[in-house]
Amino acid sequence: MNSFRRIRAIAVNTVLEAIRHRVLYALLFFALILIGGGMLLATLSYVERERILQDLGLASIRLFGVAIALFVGVGLIHKEVDRRTIYTILSKPVSRTHFLIGKYLGLVATLWLQVVIMAAAFVGVSLLAGAPLDSGHAAAIGLIAVELALVVSVAVLFSSFTTPMLASLFTVGIYIVGHLSRDLRELGRQSDADSVRYVTEFLYRVFPDLESFNLSIQAVHGLTITSREVGFPVAYAACYAALLLLVASWVFSRRDFR
Amino acid sequence: MTSDPDVVVDVRDVCKDFPVGMGFRKKRVLDGISFQVRKGEIFGFVGPNGAGKTTTLKILMGLIRPTEGGAQILGHDVSETGFREHIGFLPENPYFYDYLTGREFLRFYAELCGVPRGERRGRIATLLEWVGLENAGDARLRTYSKGMLQRIGLAQALVHDPEVVFLDEPMSGLDPMGRVEIRDLILRLRADGKTVFMNTHILPDVEMVCDRVAIIVKGKIRYEGQIETFLKSGEERPTQVVLARVPVELAPKIEEDFESEVRGFQDRIEVRVAEKDVGALLWLALGAGADVISVTPQRASLESIFLNAVEEVGQ
Ligand SMILES: Nc1ncnc2c1ncn2[C@@H]1O[C@H](COP(=O)(O)OP(=O)(O)O)[C@@H](O)[C@H]1O
Ligand SMILES: [Mg+2]
Repeated sequence: MNSFRRIRAIAVNTVLEAIRHRVLYALLFFALILIGGGMLLATLSYVERERILQDLGLASIRLFGVAIALFVGVGLIHKEVDRRTIYTILSKPVSRTHFLIGKYLGLVATLWLQVVIMAAAFVGVSLLAGAPLDSGHAAAIGLIAVELALVVSVAVLFSSFTTPMLASLFTVGIYIVGHLSRDLRELGRQSDADSVRYVTEFLYRVFPDLESFNLSIQAVHGLTITSREVGFPVAYAACYAALLLLVASWVFSRRDFR
Repeated sequence: MTSDPDVVVDVRDVCKDFPVGMGFRKKRVLDGISFQVRKGEIFGFVGPNGAGKTTTLKILMGLIRPTEGGAQILGHDVSETGFREHIGFLPENPYFYDYLTGREFLRFYAELCGVPRGERRGRIATLLEWVGLENAGDARLRTYSKGMLQRIGLAQALVHDPEVVFLDEPMSGLDPMGRVEIRDLILRLRADGKTVFMNTHILPDVEMVCDRVAIIVKGKIRYEGQIETFLKSGEERPTQVVLARVPVELAPKIEEDFESEVRGFQDRIEVRVAEKDVGALLWLALGAGADVISVTPQRASLESIFLNAVEEVGQ
């Protein structure tokens, strides 16, 4: 019970720190511009106006979501260590695992808040343009939010032991590989060389399969989305993030704050 | 290790190696240090810059692990977290969440320490008043001066009413007023029955507030005990006395009676005598119609001890 309160205090403080930060507003501002700008772009085209609009909107939410995830995920953890605010926190009855979990939950809450704002803009623009909106769009945006929670756990893991520069690079790297790993595996399967097949299969197994969080095409084209297409990625993300946090907490607990 | 309930902090044979350069070589920063802090005292952990004071404190706070040896606080190994609700910590040159107001900042730490919700508001108000920031409680920390940050930092360390308070260089970097404020707060902590562990390299602060000290130089403890004992007997401590409007016949008499050299400038003279002779000297001077300008104890001793100790270690 006490642990819960401590974790919550750290999470709330993280959200406060994020929402009192200017850079976040700048990112959000550009995201909203891009989502709104879709309207302009869409008017240039006579075919599939609504699709272009919504494609662009969902892509903006994903892109800026990841940018914010990277910025807060790497930035806010490192800042605590760099500015030594973590010293006072850990001198209280707070374990390093509590700290990391609280930080993680705060980061996820911040990201989801941003997603909600961007989603509101998406809905507004869609309504203005008369584009269809249904549960498929909600599922697509929901899975983006879940994907961000996974990406930020990667950022937290790397931030638990390396410099912000490296942590950002690794996180971006994993994000890109994570989105390609499915295609890579397909390519690998068509390859004759066993070694290529082995490597691409390995990449697919080890790196998060981030394409499974991408329902944009189904949503924009109004295709049916099965509950498995939503449920599986959610469970997958929960397990993956929990595992990464476990490793992060193990690494973090062994770290010297010199 | 020890079961003496009066021992609050117990450090035993602690060594710490830091990696150097790429991390292949090691540098021994703490070399087998041991000392104890007793209940209710202000303990000064004293040494020149780079001696290993902050490193020791970080080991006590569980921020870094000793390479060898161990330490206990209130009978708990420092790697535990639960007992930390009984200790407070103010780091060196603290930086705090500058986007929070003083009150929000203290509320955050109160939550971390598990101060019950009902008591929080009152506790925070009391603390803000205690450190003299009752009017700054709703300003963001980014607008605070260095002295105010140090004081809100102290409030943060005390938010859960801990038994033991650890302070890393609490008075450095402050102007004279700020130092006096912090010093008075530390003395009030002792009056409230708290144990205070304080790192410092500023000698007057040590002499002013500490009951007992450990002196660390280059990662080794050179002395642990009472400062008075350590400063030789106070009786022998030289004191400088400056007198004015001294009658001509007085100076030679002083030289003779106190076997000390008298230096004159304009109508003033300066005499160095042992502390025990100060009373007699003043009596004589005032009786002869002279004015007393100043009486200054010459307490350079800790400084010279540092230097001596550095030389010893260097050899
Ligand atoms: N992060 C670090 N990495 C390597 N050496 C360090 C580090 N921090 C401190 N040191 C070294 O450890 C020694 C003790 O430092 P410190 O405990 O900060 O001294 P003090 O607080 O007494 O001034 C110094 O020689 C310093 O150079
Ligand atoms: Mg120091």
